[in-house]
Amino acid sequence: MFFTIVRQIIGSINEESPATPMTVANSQATLAIENLHVSVNETEILRGLDLNIPKGEVHALMGPNGSGKSTLANALMGHPAFEVTAGSVHFKGQDVLALPTDERSRLGMFLAFQYPAEIPGVRVASFLRMALNARRTDEISAMDFRRLLMEKMDLLKMDPKFANRYLNEGFSGGEKKRNEVLQLAVLQPEIAILDETDSGLDIDALRIVSDGVNQLRSTDLGVLVITHYQRLLNYIVPDHVHVIINGRVVDSGDSGLAKRLEAEGYEQYGDTTSEGTD
Amino acid sequence: MTPLTAEETIAAQAKTRSEPAWLADRRIDAWRTFESSPPPKRSDEEWRRTDLSWMNWSDFHPSASQLTNGSAEEHLPVHLSAASIVLVEHGTGTTVTRVAPEAKAAGITAASLSTAASDSNQLVESHLATSLIRPDDGKFQALNSALWTGGVFVHIPRGVQLEAPIVILKTSNDSACYPRTLIIADPESSGHIVEWWLPEDSKSLSFANGSTEIFVNDNADLTYTHVQQWPSITRSLLSQHAQVARDASLVSTNVTLGGLFHKGSIKATLSDPGANVKLNGISYLDGQQFVDHHTSQDHKTTDAVSDLLYVNILDDTSRSVYAGTILVEQDAQRSNAYQQNRNLMLGSGPRADSIPRLEIMADDVRCTHGATTSTVDPAQLYYLNSRGLNRDDARTMIINGTIEPVLDRIPSTVVADAVRTALQEKIQSTSSN
Repeated sequence: MFFTIVRQIIGSINEESPATPMTVANSQATLAIENLHVSVNETEILRGLDLNIPKGEVHALMGPNGSGKSTLANALMGHPAFEVTAGSVHFKGQDVLALPTDERSRLGMFLAFQYPAEIPGVRVASFLRMALNARRTDEISAMDFRRLLMEKMDLLKMDPKFANRYLNEGFSGGEKKRNEVLQLAVLQPEIAILDETDSGLDIDALRIVSDGVNQLRSTDLGVLVITHYQRLLNYIVPDHVHVIINGRVVDSGDSGLAKRLEAEGYEQYGDTTSEGTD
Repeated sequence: MTPLTAEETIAAQAKTRSEPAWLADRRIDAWRTFESSPPPKRSDEEWRRTDLSWMNWSDFHPSASQLTNGSAEEHLPVHLSAASIVLVEHGTGTTVTRVAPEAKAAGITAASLSTAASDSNQLVESHLATSLIRPDDGKFQALNSALWTGGVFVHIPRGVQLEAPIVILKTSNDSACYPRTLIIADPESSGHIVEWWLPEDSKSLSFANGSTEIFVNDNADLTYTHVQQWPSITRSLLSQHAQVARDASLVSTNVTLGGLFHKGSIKATLSDPGANVKLNGISYLDGQQFVDHHTSQDHKTTDAVSDLLYVNILDDTSRSVYAGTILVEQDAQRSNAYQQNRNLMLGSGPRADSIPRLEIMADDVRCTHGATTSTVDPAQLYYLNSRGLNRDDARTMIINGTIEPVLDRIPSTVVADAVRTALQEKIQSTSSN
């Protein structure tokens, strides 16, 4: 409710007095999710979810299986199977829900997938260059792109040969996740949603991936880390932690909340079983 | 004056071209075989899925037309601009338009087949239509053996290694043409040969019946690429047969983009131990195009490797048939043979039939085959969309991803790039419809 009011005020400022850019910019830099209801195959999974992720902050969303974590990630990115039945999502002054997936991406949103699709025959490098050019007004030169790619691969301790492999085909679980973070690093979005990026990673891979994300943390990037376990949050320490149960955010706090959840589990929030799935 | 019979016409034309007696005799024999052999029947396995009802067998006769050579190198694909030798085959005649000094110095022959035969080239007499593609192989092979004109002969002498490709540009402004190609790579030689059917200057071509024979001798290393961009009215039948000898290797690629109806019989015989063959195919079909590829990997002796990858991309109501046989003969122990056919359907209109077949008479072999047919996967589209690619670009990327593993198998970068560009043109033309 508080955010609603703030946004209404800011909205009216935006309309009536464009001479107050600071306030407007701050508002626009926030991914604002309000009363979001999402159904999959006519089963409601998200039931009025509110969440705000300003640029420059790392938020963690934690919840048990079936609470709607991945549903949120895919609904934000516009997966056609996830039907938004009510609510709104705004980013940079745009009604995100009115945009197709590719436009959301070009607006500055990024989803690191839990299960990235394999695209045989498409090399990591050529794919990334095309994706980068899709969001630029001028095409990046082959040499500049190569330099950028190598710099980011180095950040993630990736073998340069990786760039010539076919996208996700035959990748191990760890390689897939690393490749997702590589794309995050190259495409430089303003809001990144990491959907269970820790799943399937051994401790070394987890550390490398987390180090990569930490190095990308900046005032220009807002991050939503979606995870089942607290483990990832030992490496990517969030500014805020939210708990999702049955499609709603039921609790928020600082990083201490994640530690408490690890110790006490989700039972404190009552019945956490859900009809839907992640 | 009584009109000449077909045989008399063939003899007269052979004389006009100054062809030797043995060739005129072979042509007449081939014509007799054509006339006496039965047409393919739908009950034959090879023709079961191929409709030849449009064919009027009595239409065929030796044509007396003498056409001028068409435009030459102006249509050379840009990536092949560094070709060492360029020949232009234009229906009835073949002209050599470029020979790089190093190709000339190395003693490479690249010429009109008819001229090479007239020049008493012993290799032509001993290899042409005597073993790999013979008139008695079938009615179409007989027809081609009788009526081919111009033709192409390429001979790479022993030990000569040529990196820049030899390019044969082909057009025909007649309504029918009978291209014939003979390629001989001597021991320890290597080269890249490209036959490219251009869409230009072939507007009225309604029927094409071609034969290509390829001999890859001991330790030779040959790349052969055939690109077909016929106009939308062309119906074509093409036979290719390669023989690959001891420790020799061949990468053969067929790219089918044009035409209304195309039937390709592609055969590789691995005649000696150590032979290594890659057979590649890419067909990109739209409208009502029909393409039927029958392939055969014939392992005659031990320790040879064959690896086939044929990919079909089908749009609109196009149709493909892929039928491939791996034949491992009794003495061909320790053969390795692979065969893979992938079909990508761009919609619900097209149809692809895939018929892989293994005939294995030896007991110590490794053979695998597989076929997949898929549509553009929504999960892949979503993934690419989520990275900012719009629907069309994402779809094109997935199509290219299906093709790229085949292009990866072409050893010459410039040839692969030329093929890639031709494919992009076709993808652009279909997606803009």
